[in-house]
Amino acid sequence: MIEVNNLTKIYGGTTVLSIPQLVIRQGESFGLVGNNGAGKTTFFRLMLDLIRANSGWIKSKGTDVKGTTSWKFYTGSHLDDRFLIEFLTPEEYFDFISQIHHMSKGDLTVFYKEYEEFFADEILGKSKYIRDFSHGNKQKIGVAAALMAKPEIVILDEPFNGLDPSTQLRLIRILNDLKKNKGTTVLVSSHDLNHVTEVCDRIVILEKGQVRYDMAKNESTLKELESYFAG
Amino acid sequence: MIIKSFISHQIKESMRSSFWQKQIVLNILMGLLLLIMLAYLVMLGIMIDKLFKSIAPDEDPVVLFNGIVLYYFALEFMIRFFMQSLPVLNLETYLTLPIKKSSIVHYVASKSIFGVGNYLSWLVFIPFAIKVISPEYSPVMAWVWILAMILLVFTNNFLATYVKRQLAHKPWVVGIFALGLIGLMALDHFHIFSITQLSRDLMGGILRNPVMIVIPLALMVGAYLINYFFLRGRLYPDEVNLKKKTRTDSLGEIRYLKSIGLTGHLISLDLRLLWRHKRTKSLFYLSPIFLLYGLIFYNDPTFKMNGSFPVFIGIFMTGGIMINYTNYCFSYESNHFDTILANYADFKQYVRAKYLLAIAISTLCYVLTIPYGFYGLNILLINTATFLYNIGFLSFVLLFVSTYSTKRMDLSRSASFNYQGMGATHWLSMLPGFLLPVAIFWVFNYFKLPVGGYIFIGLLGLTGLVLNKTMIGVVTNQFMKNRYTMSQGFRE
Repeated sequence: MIEVNNLTKIYGGTTVLSIPQLVIRQGESFGLVGNNGAGKTTFFRLMLDLIRANSGWIKSKGTDVKGTTSWKFYTGSHLDDRFLIEFLTPEEYFDFISQIHHMSKGDLTVFYKEYEEFFADEILGKSKYIRDFSHGNKQKIGVAAALMAKPEIVILDEPFNGLDPSTQLRLIRILNDLKKNKGTTVLVSSHDLNHVTEVCDRIVILEKGQVRYDMAKNESTLKELESYFAG
Repeated sequence: MIIKSFISHQIKESMRSSFWQKQIVLNILMGLLLLIMLAYLVMLGIMIDKLFKSIAPDEDPVVLFNGIVLYYFALEFMIRFFMQSLPVLNLETYLTLPIKKSSIVHYVASKSIFGVGNYLSWLVFIPFAIKVISPEYSPVMAWVWILAMILLVFTNNFLATYVKRQLAHKPWVVGIFALGLIGLMALDHFHIFSITQLSRDLMGGILRNPVMIVIPLALMVGAYLINYFFLRGRLYPDEVNLKKKTRTDSLGEIRYLKSIGLTGHLISLDLRLLWRHKRTKSLFYLSPIFLLYGLIFYNDPTFKMNGSFPVFIGIFMTGGIMINYTNYCFSYESNHFDTILANYADFKQYVRAKYLLAIAISTLCYVLTIPYGFYGLNILLINTATFLYNIGFLSFVLLFVSTYSTKRMDLSRSASFNYQGMGATHWLSMLPGFLLPVAIFWVFNYFKLPVGGYIFIGLLGLTGLVLNKTMIGVVTNQFMKNRYTMSQGFRE
């Protein structure tokens, strides 16, 4: 599904990301962990063609993402608040995103129905602009918008950040369901080791832009991760 | 002690503002411009008695000057009300520290005296006092007079900040102030009450009897105290920065735009962007000013209808707002630029939406300028030609150029006059667009072919309109080329 080859990104002389080779298969749930500045967000940004790599390429379904648009039709993403259009109401925003992805009115209604529980009466029908919502609720809006077009690939940067406990659990359930029942490829980064191990089957640790560990999840993964970051 | 650190924070805040972090050349250029402006003010101060002499040779310049003082402050008050930003201390930072509340309040209340606007008028009245008042009365009296003026400047400053603070709490206070001001103007206009006389009595009185300086002093202290007590009662952050109740509008529901596909949706998105931010909304308020330009100049009997200047006015009237929009249309989207890059598949449509909105704005302005045809067919011809030039040529040039603007513009920061991203480069980049048609016309006019000039300018625009698909393609390619740089700049 996604192939990375010889990818590097350099900011002001420092290499912030360097990945010689990485393949993410379809239906895989890929968890990216690492401390601040490890290059997680940079990696996702490169994957979404938001920044230019210094070398190498990322291919999505065999096409280089750089300068192409085909991947946008099956990739849903939410990295930070910059993915929201803050002067719209949530409804207007969802409507707009659905238009970009050529969804019908009916699709939109189904979406609202499906995410009713996730929104928990906090988002819809409030008649206020997204900029006036709290951080956690903005996060909900962004994550839901990333998932709404039923993408084949979902890219979420720190999706659990700022969410309340109930919503965190709901999101874990939603992501697991996407992976199991829809075969969606899920890419998630997180600081929270518990959440990552609950959602992802494969966990990659980035440190200073390098891949340190790349492992399939098993019972002892959480322990291993904890001891890695404790040391 | 605590005041000292407050002040040092204040200085650091302004010195470390991103305003200064521009290229050095630009800073020097801006500095020069500023110096020239300041020099003009000083010149005005030195020459103002000559000016009075040429208007009213028999009157004493001091009396005349004293007569306009209060008018000036009324005008300044209005300018302050609109332009002056409210000094907001980051209260949360200080409230939890063990600092006496009254020092915080004094600090917040007096913070506005650091505004540059307080000191500009000094450049005019100090030279005047030294040159005219000092020899006519005495050097000491000149300084007393200057002190009185300074006190009035700060009275004005505190009054304006108070009224502005009330805007969010008790809007009716602002209404009363406005009514009072208008009432005074009206009384003055109908000669029931003379502001001139009051102004002369006050300033002249101080010159006759220096003890009268207690009047401006009392005014200033009073104005300061109403600020002080206002703030004292509202030191909790959520009460100072009172948020207005949010309301949403239904701008997204324009049927027609919904029916023309994605381009329509993008236009409707941009419309909402313009309407829902203070800064962009002020564009709409400014539009009458652009449109009234003609009224000011065409009525002037010394204005040459056949010269190149009407061409300039034509561009300004039919394109002023469009130019403003196209210049910033990408940086306006700083806050959600990543959404655009990660989601939009067809950037041609994106650019086209911008272009269509620019045309629509310009067309609206053009239609509104048609009545100027009463001033002569000539004017109608010029405005038509410049309109075509604006929508067929200038708009593309500006869209192309604005892909180079990588200054982040955070519209959600809602200071009512937010000049972020309005660098000198922007103004300089607009200049050629204005000057080109003026130059073209000048050449044609030189050979006594004014109509040929209009036609040429119009044709330039028409060519662009015919080739609009190609032009949009060119802009789109340029956008794609610059998008990483833009995205990076918008994130800073």
